[in-house]
Amino acid sequence: MNDTQSTLAGRWSRRALVRFAGASGLALAVAMAALPAHALEGKVTYWGGLIFSEAANKLLVDTITAWGQANGVETEVVMINQNETVQKVSAAVASNTMPDALDLNLDLLLLLSRQGVFTEVSDVYDAVGAANGGWFPSVAATSDLISAESGRYGVPFGVTGNLILRRNDLLSEKGFAEAPATWQELADQAVAVTASPVFGLGLALSNVGDGNVQIAVMQSFGGRVADDAGENAAIKSEGTRAYLQWLKDAWDKGAFPPGVATWDGAGDNQAYLSGQAAFIANTGSVGIAAKTQDPELYDATLYSPLPRGPVENVNPINMQFRAIPATSQNPEAAKALIEHLYNPEFLNAYYQAAIYGPVLNANKDFAAFDGSDPIKSGLLGLTENGTAPAWPDVYNAAYADIYTNYVIPKMAQRVVIDGWDFDRAMDEAQASAQAIYDKY
Amino acid sequence: MTDQIAAAGAAGRKRWLNGNRRLSLFAYLLVLPVVLLILGLVAYPFLYAIYVSFTDRVIGNDGQWVGLRNFQYIAGTATFQSAIWNTIVIVVVTGVLKLGIGLGLALLVNQHIPGRGIFRSLLMLPWAMPAFVAFLTWRVMYQPIGGGINLILTQTGLYPHVVDWLGQRSTAMPSVIAASVWRGFPFWFISILAALQSIPNELYEAARVDGANAWQRFWNVTWPGILPVVIVTTLLSSIWTANAFEHVWLLTQGGPSDATMVFPVLAYFGMQTQRIGEAAAVSVAMLPVLAILVIFATSLMQKDDE
Repeated sequence: MNDTQSTLAGRWSRRALVRFAGASGLALAVAMAALPAHALEGKVTYWGGLIFSEAANKLLVDTITAWGQANGVETEVVMINQNETVQKVSAAVASNTMPDALDLNLDLLLLLSRQGVFTEVSDVYDAVGAANGGWFPSVAATSDLISAESGRYGVPFGVTGNLILRRNDLLSEKGFAEAPATWQELADQAVAVTASPVFGLGLALSNVGDGNVQIAVMQSFGGRVADDAGENAAIKSEGTRAYLQWLKDAWDKGAFPPGVATWDGAGDNQAYLSGQAAFIANTGSVGIAAKTQDPELYDATLYSPLPRGPVENVNPINMQFRAIPATSQNPEAAKALIEHLYNPEFLNAYYQAAIYGPVLNANKDFAAFDGSDPIKSGLLGLTENGTAPAWPDVYNAAYADIYTNYVIPKMAQRVVIDGWDFDRAMDEAQASAQAIYDKY
Repeated sequence: MTDQIAAAGAAGRKRWLNGNRRLSLFAYLLVLPVVLLILGLVAYPFLYAIYVSFTDRVIGNDGQWVGLRNFQYIAGTATFQSAIWNTIVIVVVTGVLKLGIGLGLALLVNQHIPGRGIFRSLLMLPWAMPAFVAFLTWRVMYQPIGGGINLILTQTGLYPHVVDWLGQRSTAMPSVIAASVWRGFPFWFISILAALQSIPNELYEAARVDGANAWQRFWNVTWPGILPVVIVTTLLSSIWTANAFEHVWLLTQGGPSDATMVFPVLAYFGMQTQRIGEAAAVSVAMLPVLAILVIFATSLMQKDDE
């Protein structure tokens, strides 16, 4: 043994050995984390949420199938139209034929998790968050809505919500270079560009989900659906009155396109794509449609968050979750699959194809959110600056009932369609909302 | 001895299962599958829906018996009160209009006019078209900007202003009714035409010989001849219209401001909140109205038979 050898042997026997042991342990830990805790087997049926992007749907199916093949698990992926999720899941719950895992939205998850339909997935939520730099604050706050003492029942994977789409070509002609910062600015800009057949304010006032953007506007003006405890209706207020005044002023100035009080779910899409509306509030699907159907309109469109009001800045987000029914025959494999669907390689590609904002801090650096796509940038902004659903109100079952009964859009209709005075419209909405809160 | 008892038993069975009874039993056996099918597919869901309307059932939870609470809640809402009135208006007005149009066209096409076979086929088209397509087409036609009706009115100078047909309280219900009548009149037309063709020509000839004018022939020969069919058609059409969902949903979703809200759309909103008990209560609340219609029409038919 020469000096060198003895030196190496000496180092190996002390520091090098410790370093080697440490590095080996870390590698082993990473490898162990990547592998399931114990061998997986059996079958996993997954109900994926069918979205607007074919590429995203295919990617999800392929990824789940590949994961199954790699882990010796038989997989069956059924893509469900998101408009039919409630019906399908309701029937499956009643007939005890739920899949092993599925995608669903916040409302349905909230309702069903209270009925004990889902299994607890806090471990997956924590592990995924820890591995990806944590969850965005708005995502964590929204996820907290469905956490109970017994834990969490869903893991979020996509943020949705309304962005303001605006016709930059029309607005810049009138000297408006910047996105409206307040609802009043938005109304002023909308009035300025209104000249039939173009109308400024393409915000739905009808009995459809899009009509509920009026809740956010009302809250921005200081109006509230209920009190701080979320137990009693509090619609009749000076804040709501201010909102109704803003609405009526814009209506009387002819800024709303005709028909907004009876628009269906595609009303704002059609109005914007046909060039009849200069502003709409939309999830971004209109922008995607414009990209292929009307590239000129796509180029003329800019995106911004919902403006702030005189009292609050309300930008409600909604989220899609992955959950595991309590009836799953293979919950461990389902958990492993869900965890796998957060690997950066898949998510990076998925977000490029899908119309979702990111949920994890680490996702911010993905190609989809590098600023080259204005819709994705808008969705990132929504995730970063968005507010939890219902905020500043309390998101609970009664609030969800108010939402699906379109109490606020109906109040707006009373003012602009029936010509009711503000007090009468607020009284009816207040009574209607209180009757709903009294049920819970 | 045993043989004698067995023979007596067989003879007794033979007497009990005589020809008529055997025939009846066989007939009952033949209809039994259909009866079971009807009980399973009609009676069970019907009775179950009534039961659910008295519970607080939500998706994922069978719920508990709550008595009349669901009915008290929905009856107290302004939307429910609008739905009662609107459902009655739609059923009555569309019924009267469909009768008038169906009868008029049936009388016309029953004449010996050239190309009446083509007319008959053309008049059936609205009914043959899928409701979804028909009402979405009407929705496009009603559009304030670019809609066919406004284009015709403004370009021909009949009415210079653009009308928001579905977005105004004053025009929303008439617009829904017009579309419903267009889609539904062919059923009346074909039913009445069939009844007209079953009236013997001799009756008209006898009336002519007696000096009856056109109105008298219609009132004394045609109308009594088609009345049973008109009653049955009224009954069926009223029930279908009261239960129809797509015409209102595709045109207005019950708006603006509940101006066109009807029971089926209200029940659908109940389903959206995933409160199955309440949604069932809305549907069950329609039953008395429909029952009155059925009883009224049935009594008329019996009176006519007598």
